[in-house]
Amino acid sequence: MARLALRDLSLAQGGRTVLEHVEGQFPDGAITALIGPNGAGKSTLVQGIMGLLKPSRGHIDCSVPRERRAWLPQQLALDLSFPMSVEELVMTGTWPSHGALKDYCGPHYLKAREVMARLGISHLAHRPLGELSGGQRQRALFGRTLMQEAELLLLDEPFANVDIETIEVLTGVLREMARQGTTILVVLHDLDQLTRLADDVLWLADGHAQWSTTQAVIDHRQRSLQSMPPLKPTHPTDAPHARTAK
Amino acid sequence: MLELLNSLFIAPFDYGFMQRALVAGLALSLAAPALGVFLMLRGMSLIGDAMAHAILPGVALGFLMAGFSLPAMSLGGILSGLLVAGLAGSVSHMSGHREDSAMASFFLISLAGGVMLVSLGGSSVDLTHVLFGSILAVDSTALVLIAAISSLIVVVLAIVFRALVVECLDPLFLRGQGMAGGLVHGIFLGLVVLNLTAGFQTLGTLMAVGLMMLPATTARFWSKRLEGLIGLGILIAMLSTSGGLLLSYHLELPSGPSIILLAGTCYVLSALLGRHNSLLDKLRRRDAPLVARDAD
Repeated sequence: MARLALRDLSLAQGGRTVLEHVEGQFPDGAITALIGPNGAGKSTLVQGIMGLLKPSRGHIDCSVPRERRAWLPQQLALDLSFPMSVEELVMTGTWPSHGALKDYCGPHYLKAREVMARLGISHLAHRPLGELSGGQRQRALFGRTLMQEAELLLLDEPFANVDIETIEVLTGVLREMARQGTTILVVLHDLDQLTRLADDVLWLADGHAQWSTTQAVIDHRQRSLQSMPPLKPTHPTDAPHARTAK
Repeated sequence: MLELLNSLFIAPFDYGFMQRALVAGLALSLAAPALGVFLMLRGMSLIGDAMAHAILPGVALGFLMAGFSLPAMSLGGILSGLLVAGLAGSVSHMSGHREDSAMASFFLISLAGGVMLVSLGGSSVDLTHVLFGSILAVDSTALVLIAAISSLIVVVLAIVFRALVVECLDPLFLRGQGMAGGLVHGIFLGLVVLNLTAGFQTLGTLMAVGLMMLPATTARFWSKRLEGLIGLGILIAMLSTSGGLLLSYHLELPSGPSIILLAGTCYVLSALLGRHNSLLDKLRRRDAPLVARDAD
């Protein structure tokens, strides 16, 4: 049985129902993409899974302990002008084991160094976050997440404002984590990244959810591209399962 | 020469009231700037000002009930400060409005209420004393209270330091880790209230904020690291306090404004000449040729 499952889940934000009757399991050790138009409830679902929002109906079964769940919000939601170095940020990922008081010790610093090397940011260890580019910041934030040794990882638009090289490094890291058994959920807008990253897709639209595979979504997109005038952009809402979804 | 130095810097502190004023000022200087640095970094620089007004009705009530007793006035101040912080937090949570709008509303109500209370029960001299303080009138009881509150602030701040840093950067991280939302924020605001209550006797409710914010905003022109900001802030606060006291002694100026104006002078000079993002720094950078920095 999967570590994370949704049972007849309904979620509401400020009195407005955003998602209704969502059912299903997120497979362990796989990357599931959450896609759908703006306002479809992607972030709301993430908040629900992180335990920040109580379901208005049904429930979320999650056997991962709270401190092993990690959430990486969009960069815009973070105050990255705070005077903190990359290494200090990465070290805050030890919170589950160290909390507010316990002193950082040698092995953890070594681990932080390994993590930074893996993300290619060792040379930036002592640079303040405010001086980094978008891609470097995202790598540093991934560093914190890796230190958390998460079993469940939720990411919101991890590749927004990030350079191609960083996307490749981070995709590799996420694939590796999934291989080691971490359950990963990624909110994505860009369908190109979907191909590269996700195994499964949870499509949200009009308050409902539809499970699918990456291949099916890509195939559908190909078809809709061919059948449409070349300049018209495709929207996820054009998908048939978004309309028929229950 | 030595004699001149002695008469300028040492002799004034032969007086008991100057000694007590100095110790009180230095104790406040150890606690206040760190709080100011966090307020500044969280974009809450003006919240300190709002909280200073919020403690006024409590101070006034304490004054009306127990006369000019620092413990009674401090207790009143702490209670009304915490009440306003709590009310502002609850209203913003309930309504979804930003906390600063609720804070602005409550501090204005407090200010008017406080001034009303002082006017009803005392004279305008009392009001000036509460609003602008008198560091030279600090007695031993007040000194113990100020030192105790400052020590408490330093200890609590050390305990919540890491949590506070993590929360500044990513407020949802700690909630995701199961810590009650707003706990750290609440403790922090409580410390700000405590500090202002300790400061009002010396600098008055309004200027107590000065010793918190000015050293922090000044330090920002010199350091980009958190430890640097706090350390420099403390140094600037201590220099301003001792310097301000000496100025007020020699030139017969009111002590509170002298201290804060000295800190203010540090700020203006730093904005012009500081190491980071000052006017001088901007001019220098414009003239400098492009340097190859490591590629982003």
